[in-house]
Parts: sequence; C-alpha cells; structure tokens
Amino acid sequence: MIKLENVSKTYQTDKVETLALRDINLHVKKGEFVSIMGPSGCGKSTLLNLIGLLDRPGKGKIAVDGAEMKVWRDKELASMRNRTFGFIFQSFHLINDLRVIDNVELPLLYRSCSAKERRRLAEEALARVGLSARMDHYPNQLSGGQQQRVAIARAMVGRPSVLLADEPTGNLDSQMGAEVMDILLKLSHEGTTVVMVTHDERQAKQGGRIVRVFDGQLVA
Amino acid sequence: MLKNYFQIACKVYMRRKLFTAINLLCIVLTMVVLLVVTAILQATFFPTGVEGRSERFLQIGTITQVSKNKTWRSPLGYKVIDQYLRKMKTVEKVAAVTGPESVSVYQKDSVNEIMMRRADAEYWQILDFKLLSGRVPTEEDVKQGRFVAVVNESTAKKIFGSAAVVGQKINTGGQQFEIIGVVEDVIHMNAFADIWVPVTTFPSSQYREQYTGNFNAMLMGKSAADLPLIRDELLQVVKQINADQPTHWDETYMWADSKLDFFARGILSHDKLADSGSAQLLAGVVFFMLLFMLLPALNLVNLNSGRIMERAAEIGVRKAFGASNRELVKQFVIENILLCLFGALVGLIFTKLTLIWLSNAELIPYLKVDLSFAVFSYGFVIAIVFGVLSGVIPAWKMSRLDPVLALKGAA
Repeated sequence: MIKLENVSKTYQTDKVETLALRDINLHVKKGEFVSIMGPSGCGKSTLLNLIGLLDRPGKGKIAVDGAEMKVWRDKELASMRNRTFGFIFQSFHLINDLRVIDNVELPLLYRSCSAKERRRLAEEALARVGLSARMDHYPNQLSGGQQQRVAIARAMVGRPSVLLADEPTGNLDSQMGAEVMDILLKLSHEGTTVVMVTHDERQAKQGGRIVRVFDGQLVA
Repeated sequence: MLKNYFQIACKVYMRRKLFTAINLLCIVLTMVVLLVVTAILQATFFPTGVEGRSERFLQIGTITQVSKNKTWRSPLGYKVIDQYLRKMKTVEKVAAVTGPESVSVYQKDSVNEIMMRRADAEYWQILDFKLLSGRVPTEEDVKQGRFVAVVNESTAKKIFGSAAVVGQKINTGGQQFEIIGVVEDVIHMNAFADIWVPVTTFPSSQYREQYTGNFNAMLMGKSAADLPLIRDELLQVVKQINADQPTHWDETYMWADSKLDFFARGILSHDKLADSGSAQLLAGVVFFMLLFMLLPALNLVNLNSGRIMERAAEIGVRKAFGASNRELVKQFVIENILLCLFGALVGLIFTKLTLIWLSNAELIPYLKVDLSFAVFSYGFVIAIVFGVLSGVIPAWKMSRLDPVLALKGAA
C-alpha cells in the first residue's frame, strides 16, 4: 500500500541543517494497523507527513498504491491526498466557523460530488462515530472526545484507503481516548489501513505492528 | 461549495467587526466615487432623456480646414448645413443649432445672464424635450422668422417667478421674443441652454452664406444602421465643400460623430483623423478607474494578508484534505468578492444619496443623474474587479503555504 525506500528528510534553517529522518525503509501493507512510536522530536510526525504526502522527502522514494511519487505537482498531490488519505490530528484541527456537518463534508468539496451526496455521506460518517445528534453544532460546543470523533468522521467520509492519525488520543482523557481507539480499530478491521503516531504503548499494541523511530531512524 | 465559502466568509467577517468595518468603508468610498462618475458618464453618453434618440443621430461640431501655412478649426457655418448636409440622401433629418451663447435678458428692473441657442425646426424633432407648457417652434415659425422663444423651467422661474410664462415677452440683444413654450431643464450636450429661438431671427442674414460660424449639425438616420452610411456619404460631401469654398484650402475635414466620439475628438484633437480616439479615451477612463481602485485595493491586500495568515491552520487542513492551491485561491478570492459585493450594495445606496445631493445642490446646472440598471450593473462589475484586485495577491500568498507549517499555525 505504502512503500518508503531510503527516505531521508533534512530541514534547513538559516545556518543549521537538521536531519529529521535518515534512510527510512518502511512498507505498510493494505489493511495493516501500524503504530509509530518514539520519543518526542525523533521524527515520528515528519514520517507521518511524508507518508501522507504533506511533505516531500529530501532523498529516497515514496510509492502509494504501487505508484511511485515522481512528480510532486500541487494538483496531483492534492488529488492523491483527497482520494487516498484521511488525516486525524492531535489537536483535531476542526474549522470552528463551520458546523460539525460542514466540517465533515470538507474532503468531499474537493472532488466531484453533489451537495445531496455530500450531505448523505457526512451524515453516515457522523452516525458511525455516534454524533448524529450533534451535526448542527459548532466544534467549540463539543467536548474534546466528541471533537476528535468529528475529526475521525471527516477523515473517513471520503472512504480513503489510509487513515493517518497523529497522536489522536494525545489531548483526550483515558475514557475518551479508548472510545477513539475503538473507532480506529473498527475501521482497521473493516479493511482501512491505519498509520498512527502514539506515545501510548498499550494503544500501539492494540493496533498490531509497531514501528519505532529513534533519532530519525527506524529501530527494531 | 459556494455555500461553504459563504458561511466561512460571514463568520470570519463577523468575528473581526472593526476590521470588516474598515474594509467595508474602503470599498464603499471607492464604489461611491466610481459609481457617481459612471452615472454621470452614462447620462452623458448613452441615449437618455432629451437625447433618447442619440443612437440614431450623429453630430458635427467642427470643420477643420488646412492649407500649407494654416489650420483653421471652427464650428460650422449655416451654409454647410443648409446647402450641403440637408441634401444628403442617407439622412432622415438634419438639424442646425448654434452653440450656447451668453446673452443678457432685460426684464423689468433686472438683468439676467442666460445661455441662448438658435435652432431650426428639425432640432425640436430630433431632440425629445419634455414640454411643460405651450409648444415648441414649428417649421412655419422658423420659415417666417417669428420672434418666438422657448425657455426652460429654471429660467422661467428666475425671470417671471410664479406667473404664467407662455405669452410673456422677453428682451435680449435688442430683440423681443414671445415665449411660446416651457421645457424641462436639461444638461445634455446638444440640448443645454436656457432659451431657444428660431435660427431665422438672427439680426442679419449673413449667417446663411458662411462656411464657418457657430453652428452644430445633427444628422438623424432612420435607424442606427444608417449611421455608417451617413459617415460614408459625408466624406463625399466634404470634398464638395472643399472644392466650392471661395478661399482655397488644401484639405477640409468634418466628421459625423456619436456623442462619445464627439467628446473624444475634442479632447484628443483628432481633427484630421477618421478615428475619433474614443477607444483610447475609454481605455484611459478604464485605466484611471483601475488606478483609482489601486490604492484602496493595496490597503485591502494588506488587511487581507493579515486576515488570511490568521487562518493558516484552516489552510493546512484544507490542503491535507485535498484542496489544491488553485482551489484555495478561488475560495479566498470569492470570499473577498462577497465582501466587495456587499460593499457595492452599501455603495449603491450612498451613490443614490450622493446623486440626489448633487442634483439638488446645483453645483452643475441642470444636472439630473439617477441610478439606472446599467449603473447598477457597472457597480456589480466594479465590485468584482475590485474583489479580484484586492483578493488575488493575498490568496496566492496563502495558497503557497507549506501544509505542515500551516497546520502548526506557523505561517
């Protein structure tokens, strides 16, 4: 599903060059639940951003669905992100000016989809995370757990093949975190590939395969 | 999609009320100035009011004669109109009218300076004066050289107060005229005057023999389609005039122009060119309007840049979920256009109030300009141009944000 070969990423500031990732080789298979673990600042989120094509590697190759990313043109990247990936962020990143239902519809705005169909799919996604009753609320009227469930609904509304979750339970208490994990596991069991960055060993074990990053490198 | 943009735009604008108010003020002021100018231009150059048939007629204001050492530019003499233009086959009516001249009117114990035109009967048939009382001069009045006059409403009030005006006598330049009609005040190019008398009331008949003088001609076709034919025939007529004149001139030029062409030719001195320069003039007007929009647009660019950068995280989210740079530019430009359209709506209200004030303040005599559907449409177009001008640069800057940095809110 996703293949990274000898991927390196360097950040260049005024005078300092920081090597964020070095020679990463990673193969995520279709339907797999992969947890990326490691200490803060080791490059976990950078790795997730590279997988999700939000960032581009300095060196190496990235292939998604068997197709190697060769041309990093904005239009193609946008289309690939829209069709293949669903993102879940630690701080939810919901748009507070839009109602819950409109937030969930967001990925569908960037593909050919009628307003009626968008509405139907968004309602379905919200029903799956148990928030049908909250669709006309605004994000700041919801609890943290509910906001993350909205974010999951948004990530899955376009039926992407890969969900990328960056510490999805990081801002939640244990009960809400467990609820979010349950949803992710359920999606994984239904065949969605999940790549999750987490600090929580227990949650990582629930997922299945664990990948550890240390000082920008994958470790056994 | 548009609904989504609209919702976001409303929320964002309502969140920062002061900021939005400054933006709106900027837009409204620009719109009012541009729309007032547009309304005046529209009333001047489009077929409206007394010149409602102007799409069917052309005017000749000057004759330009050139010899080796001299170029002579003058309004037409009556002979040119009477002996040559009236004989043209492609015209339906030809009117002769002098340019407005200041005359003194002695009435009881007061003297008033007013503008007078001398016109033939066709003048009253080509122009569409609104008659308030009495009648306008007929062919018989002109033919017989009757001392009759038509005055406008303001002059009637100024000289005779509230008394009935038709039938009263008015004295000017040693001549006495009987007022036979009162018409509504007008400012239009061919119509502007305070008093009109028949052309045949000139103290001397010398004007009949002049090639140059103080006359304008109006040539009306059966329809707008006749105007190119009139222009073509005029070229032959001009050659004949050049050949017939007692004084030798190498070349004679005379152009039948629409109102806009007439104005452009006067400003750009295209006396010897068939092209009046109206396209250049219009381009100049559009350039000036764009220039006028530029300063407030730059201000909006600056304000918009700040506003958009506040929304870095939203931009990051949209990019993550598949928005391309182009779509983001579109979104932010549409948001800006929506604000500009709202500004235009408020601007139209203030434009209407400004036009009412301008008409009542009498800064420009007889100015009566109102909002029309055309001005409303121009307002719509101006708002969109303004929205694009002030929105596209910040939108482009925003769309180039790195999605990872944008998600961190670190734009």
